[in-house]
Amino acid sequence: MNNLNLILAGVFSTVAASFGGLLLAGHAQLGALGRAPAEEGGPLFPALEPGLAIQGRQVYLQLGCVACHTQQVRPAGQGSDIAQGWGVRPSVARDYVLQSQVALGNRRIGPDLANYGARAKSDAEIAAHLSAPVAGSAMPAFPSLFNQGKDGSLQPNERGTALIAYLKSLRQDYSSPEAKLKQ
Amino acid sequence: MSQENQHSRPPGQGRPQGRSADTGSPRISRVDASVASPVKFFFASALLWLLVSSVLAVITAVKLHLPGFLNSCEYLTFGRLDAIQRNVFFYGWASNALIGLNLWLLASLGRFEFRNGWIATLGGLIWNLALTVGIASVLLDSQNAFELLELPRGVALAFFVAFLLAALWPAVAFVRRPTGQVFVSQWYILGASFVLPVVYLLTQLMVLWCPTNGVLQALVHSWFLQNFLLLWLGASALAAVYYFLPKELGTTLTGYYLSTVGFWTLFLFAGWTGPATLLGSPVPLWIQSSGVVAAVMLLIPLTITSINFFGTLSRDSGWTRAWNNTTLRFVAFGLVAYTLAIALQIAFSARSLNALVRFTSFAAGQQQLLTYAFVSMVIFGAAYYILPRLTGAFWPSAKLVHLHFWSCALAVVGSVAGSLFFGWTQGAALAAAKPFAQTMHPQEALLSSACAVLFLIGHVAFALNAFGMLTTCSSSTEEARQA
Repeated sequence: MNNLNLILAGVFSTVAASFGGLLLAGHAQLGALGRAPAEEGGPLFPALEPGLAIQGRQVYLQLGCVACHTQQVRPAGQGSDIAQGWGVRPSVARDYVLQSQVALGNRRIGPDLANYGARAKSDAEIAAHLSAPVAGSAMPAFPSLFNQGKDGSLQPNERGTALIAYLKSLRQDYSSPEAKLKQ
Repeated sequence: MSQENQHSRPPGQGRPQGRSADTGSPRISRVDASVASPVKFFFASALLWLLVSSVLAVITAVKLHLPGFLNSCEYLTFGRLDAIQRNVFFYGWASNALIGLNLWLLASLGRFEFRNGWIATLGGLIWNLALTVGIASVLLDSQNAFELLELPRGVALAFFVAFLLAALWPAVAFVRRPTGQVFVSQWYILGASFVLPVVYLLTQLMVLWCPTNGVLQALVHSWFLQNFLLLWLGASALAAVYYFLPKELGTTLTGYYLSTVGFWTLFLFAGWTGPATLLGSPVPLWIQSSGVVAAVMLLIPLTITSINFFGTLSRDSGWTRAWNNTTLRFVAFGLVAYTLAIALQIAFSARSLNALVRFTSFAAGQQQLLTYAFVSMVIFGAAYYILPRLTGAFWPSAKLVHLHFWSCALAVVGSVAGSLFFGWTQGAALAAAKPFAQTMHPQEALLSSACAVLFLIGHVAFALNAFGMLTTCSSSTEEARQA
């Protein structure tokens, strides 16, 4: 095998094969996926994100939260995500169509956040977790997201408020055509 | 020793060419001299980045059990430092070193006197500047959510240009050299040097410049990551193994004729294995299944490289001789790690096993097995062989060589074993529906901190030795010769 052009042509074909077979074919299937109602005439899901949540996503990316948190719930037969209470149904491709950058993540040092907005009880609870995580957690505090209030308490600043709005917007608790919730 | 003797070609197939193994002469051949300045530049930059990465690895490891450590400043938060450490390791250390190593191997195997070495050095300069800018941007501004694509997209263009100058242009120049014969190392280098820029550019376009719809980004990213790990890092390191193993043992490779099949099957299937890392993710099932099939097909190249390498090492007390040779000790260590890493990748692409360990530290352990225990150890071994031939000096201290090997070997065994074990036990606990917070093992973070310190010690020893040689070209010592 001494013909170098043959080597380069062969390597090019192998790259082209996986590119075409996986990415172009995947694009053909999912490239035009958009919002849809679970039932005819129903509201479109996923819901549009509030502007503050879109700003909060930037803070989420900036701080590298994706290093420890995933945003995907696997089906019941594939891992224990639903049993852990991280979601009420598996994530589907349609859940992500509005996201400019998808932060699926690949490591869980902390819990999954795909459906965190449905779990969190209030803004104050999220703020308390960000300013002083529970003892024993590997999560650091994020003092830069807070200002000291007049009474000495920590109040979320602009970025903190945006991040909290983003975390609250993380919900996959609606029916979609591919994943209907059991009534 | 004349130029001709240094590069005489024995007729046997599978025996790489170049300077004969038994000459410890520090004289520099014309071929080596022609690539000396770019290769030394790449190795020196790689070493500096390795030190930075090791220090960052200690900090991030400590942060996992002491979250308050260095947490007063937002720039030092775990998420930022973790991304920076990873990019410094992969683009700063491994890629710099492999570009240099590939350049040297191409020149050496082709008896190819490299002209215009400054172009490769210029490429290296651009590469390192771009990486520095990218890291500053992650530290002070923002990052992308994809592993190894965290750097801002402008940096990617600079990387692309730098790679064309530093690695692809020499490869093309090599194609035009006068001699005809091609060895298996050269296929791997050409393949790797071709795959990286093409895949990197396509991924940047589809993820950062014109983002594809939703989860397709994650699919493109998985495709990129597997290509990067297996066909850039893996194939480049395999090229070095195919060179050093027969050369230093002074023998031919067992089953050399099979290596063509090994090469093509690796390149054919590795690119498809991306979705095997997305099992259970919201991507179509047929795509996930294609990834699993491709991962299983890696059995073919794995079997062939095992026959090639372990067959060769099992003959004529090869293991003992490899153990007593500095370069081969690292290379043989890397080979065992490569075999384990690919075998684990095949086994854990099975859905049931993958469901258990996905998202735990198990996957991190698998990646470290491939990228450190295999790729980095092979680079170390190669550096022990190449640098004396480029500087005309010997390694200043044999003790530092031993310290380097033992601390890195112990650290990587401890770190990988810890990640695999704790990842598995965490997966088992999660499967038994234990609450997430109770499945984390504090011992895991302690172990990884200890290993990170051990890595740092080993890398400092290596750097002291290498910079001692690169800067002073000190006179030879008998001790170092025997190391």
